[in-house]
Amino acid sequence: MDLKRSYSEDLKLLDGGWEWAAFCVLVVLLAVAPFALQDFYLYMINLIAVHCLVAIGLNLLVGYAGQISLGHAGFFAIGAYTQALLVIKLGLPFFVALPAAGLVAAAFGFLLGLPALRLTGPYLAIATLGFGMAVTQIIGTTEFFGGRMGLNVPRPDFLTDALSSDQRMYLVIVPLTVLLTITAVNLTKSRIGRALVAVRDSDIAAEAIGVNLTLTKTLAFAISAFYTGVAGGLMAMLLGFINPDQFNLIMSITFLAMVVVGGLGSILGSILGAILMTVLPQALSRFDNIPMIAIGAIMVAIVIFEPLGLRGRWLKSKIYFKTWPF
Amino acid sequence: MLGQLVVSGIAIGCCYAMIALAMVIVYKASEVLNFAQGELAMVSTFVAYSLMLSLGLPFPLAAASALLFAFALGAVCEFAFLRQADEPTLLGLIVITLGMEMMLYGAAGWIWGADTKSFPSPISDTSVYEISGIIISDQDLTYLATALLLAGLLFLFFRYTRVGVAMRATSQNESAAKLMGIRTQWINTFTWGLSSVIGALAGILMAPRTMLDPNMMMDPLLKGFAAAVLGGMTSLPGAALGGCLLGVIENLVAGYISTEFKSVVAFVVIVIVLCVRPAGLLGQEEIKKV
Amino acid sequence: MRSARILLTGSVVLSMLAAIGCRKEEEAPPPEEKVEKVEAKKPEPPPAPKVPGVSDTEIVIGTTSPQTGPAALWGSVARGTACYFDMINEAGGINGRKLKLEIRDDGYQPARTVAATKELVEQVGVFAMTGGIGTATGLAVKDYLAEKKVPWVGQGTGSTKMTDPMAHNLFAMFPTYNDEAHLLVKYITENLKKKKIAFFYQNDDYGKEALEGARKALEAKKLKLAAEVSVEVTDTDLASHVMKLKKAKPQVVILWLMPKHAAITMGTAAKLKFKPQWITGSTLSDAAFMHKITKGAWEGVHFDSFFELPDSEHPLIAKYKAAYDKFALKRNDKELWSTFFIAGFLFAEPLVEAIKNAGPELTREKVIAELEKLDKWGGGLHSAVTFGKDNRRGVRSVYLAKCEKGKAVKTSGYITFGE
Repeated sequence: MDLKRSYSEDLKLLDGGWEWAAFCVLVVLLAVAPFALQDFYLYMINLIAVHCLVAIGLNLLVGYAGQISLGHAGFFAIGAYTQALLVIKLGLPFFVALPAAGLVAAAFGFLLGLPALRLTGPYLAIATLGFGMAVTQIIGTTEFFGGRMGLNVPRPDFLTDALSSDQRMYLVIVPLTVLLTITAVNLTKSRIGRALVAVRDSDIAAEAIGVNLTLTKTLAFAISAFYTGVAGGLMAMLLGFINPDQFNLIMSITFLAMVVVGGLGSILGSILGAILMTVLPQALSRFDNIPMIAIGAIMVAIVIFEPLGLRGRWLKSKIYFKTWPF
Repeated sequence: MLGQLVVSGIAIGCCYAMIALAMVIVYKASEVLNFAQGELAMVSTFVAYSLMLSLGLPFPLAAASALLFAFALGAVCEFAFLRQADEPTLLGLIVITLGMEMMLYGAAGWIWGADTKSFPSPISDTSVYEISGIIISDQDLTYLATALLLAGLLFLFFRYTRVGVAMRATSQNESAAKLMGIRTQWINTFTWGLSSVIGALAGILMAPRTMLDPNMMMDPLLKGFAAAVLGGMTSLPGAALGGCLLGVIENLVAGYISTEFKSVVAFVVIVIVLCVRPAGLLGQEEIKKV
Repeated sequence: MRSARILLTGSVVLSMLAAIGCRKEEEAPPPEEKVEKVEAKKPEPPPAPKVPGVSDTEIVIGTTSPQTGPAALWGSVARGTACYFDMINEAGGINGRKLKLEIRDDGYQPARTVAATKELVEQVGVFAMTGGIGTATGLAVKDYLAEKKVPWVGQGTGSTKMTDPMAHNLFAMFPTYNDEAHLLVKYITENLKKKKIAFFYQNDDYGKEALEGARKALEAKKLKLAAEVSVEVTDTDLASHVMKLKKAKPQVVILWLMPKHAAITMGTAAKLKFKPQWITGSTLSDAAFMHKITKGAWEGVHFDSFFELPDSEHPLIAKYKAAYDKFALKRNDKELWSTFFIAGFLFAEPLVEAIKNAGPELTREKVIAELEKLDKWGGGLHSAVTFGKDNRRGVRSVYLAKCEKGKAVKTSGYITFGE
């Protein structure tokens, strides 16, 4: 929210001393965690990280580029299955399969972006809904993908003696998430990021000033799908078993909720939303039905009372304290 | 088998048509996709069930009370949740309806439990008529009759009653309607109530066939969506037509290709229609002013 | 004004919640569970006792259960286990220790099952796990529980993947769908002497493994299924499916579905004047319940089961029913006395027996050893639970029954697979 006085200021990743300090503390904590925390906490962090990736991807599409997607579970599934099949059938190591999973998902994202050029608003929402559900149905009816029975996914197996499987997954997931998050932040500050925002605010005007609408919209879908696909691949390894029923409408809705509750148009918002939506069902899991009601209530409350999401609250609190006592 | 598939398809298609009608009414009025439609209907159906079981009310009375409840529920949802949002974006509205859906689903599971129940209904489950080898049951005829009656009533309502005309005016141009003295906020609330009633009617009719549990309307909701897209989100006759067509197409695919693909049909239909003719069969193309 | 609207919204929401709250008397978690304050922050892990989950006064046992979501019907299994533990505790517990059941809702989503299981093992510190529903959910935690060597009895699924490959700590109390269907086909061809059989199954591992079993059984007799029709879990209109079955004109139709779909099928078939002999697997063995929700159309249906049914005359059933009346109904007056509820007892019985036999010096390895020793154990609802050094499938026999006048009536004794 600070005034930017030059181009280079706008491009900076972190703003000033405090943010750098906070970032360093976070890095140190994340580095120490696998050796200090129990497996349960590590699993939760892994899960949050995977959801962060999805939330960032979806936010790029919905918050920055102004599109809608109710079918991101489809990209998640594509990423998960691609990763699983490449490792199982071709024996590729996971660090080759993961980017491949992301790229395959990105290709599908591109394909979905093409009809999205013609559709806006509710029609786009329905189209993505249809896509998301069609993907899971098609996977379910194809034996090559394991059909309804699902696939057992092998996990990375380096340093098997020294580390538990959660610690190993942590070492794979968390550095990758940090890397991709920094990439996303850079992306939003770059030319592409500004093009996305221009398309969101007024696509016709954007085209008028020279932003290639076709390229930008399809790119938005592709990048978003890439992030979601990589996250899907990571999830497949985390769970060890995937089947089509997991990637359902509820999952797409949860992803969307992460983004809207966390804050549209902001990477920090995606992270906050992902953390909330991952921790809340687990914390409330000893009560029946309460998690559903709670999540629904939060979704409604955020849109009504705080459309900018959790990040909006955070910003407003910061401003309040900065400008206190006025 | 062809004739039987078509007839059964039309029968279930009438249910989809009713749900699609409910959705189109809301969409036409406020351009909001109502994802909570299914759960509103489901909760109202449960209310009817409770009235019949705990209070022993006869079916007509319980159903009528449930429909009134549905109206109130829909109106309250619009008033308490949708209206409160200041200048909401489309995404915001969708998220609100999704949030309402989750709350209603959780509440239904909490109050009534998740086990399958059978829904008592005066329409016989088994009496059928056979016409040249094709079997039509009492239920099928009820669906058809209700759908036709509903379509007819809605037609008359929108054309000849003051409220109906006011609703059409609001959906065409809200500011102009306000200037003409129409209280558009109340019209919106009424629209949601009406849509909820139609959905509840569909739910009460379907419950004897699909069994009563919190999940009962999830699939019909998506089918209703597909039907509305197929027929045109802005056209009421389109919704009805879309519903019947979808029912028939589904059955034909299931009968001649494979039952595995029956549920994919709805989504494939959505994707194809949106690629080829987004406005649907009977809908009008939207023209956006730059 | 904004504040007035907020007030209004708030009061509407509060009144809705109050209305919900008034309906449901028992909101508090059942007394056996820990009453902890729910926070988004994670609680401190308890100091690790020598044997996790065991203290001088209690043994903590964990279970994950789909209390909400698409499989919420099976949530009553965990509640059955809770009732069973209440019954045991009332009689003094086991060797002076009371049993405490920690239930976690996983909504039938494997990601949540993993999180909940890890929480139970690491945060809560359970001694053993019981129950659990579903193949995907079970497989997601199978390796983890094996790694942590937590004794685990009874995942609610007949998938062969649970015991193959065998895990040292996992004891399955469910016959495989494969074997069950195989046995049903044998019964149909040899006892009922019918040859034209159609198979109506749910399109997932539950239905497909059974289909395989049925196919193999018929191949051995040089026969084939007259029709194989699948249904998706989300389908609600089965007219086209039933028409396809009818077209094949079978004498017998085997149903491998959820109760809801089975009920819809009966209704649809009655309308289409399709009246074959219906036969189902153990999931639909609650004859009284099925009779009720199909409004009587369930009459005459044959099925198999591997444990005593709710309306059986077995003394244990009477004992458990008394416990249900005493404990379960108080917690939730809408709890059904159903096969799923009783399954909660069934899954925990071997674990309780093993804990009893292991004596006051309780360790996980001892309990696993005691479980292995069970050979044709008939102390529970199944007449011959058998494990062994290399056998983790405790249940290999079923009996046949049929629905007569709304009740289950046995038509055969226990038949074992491979005989």
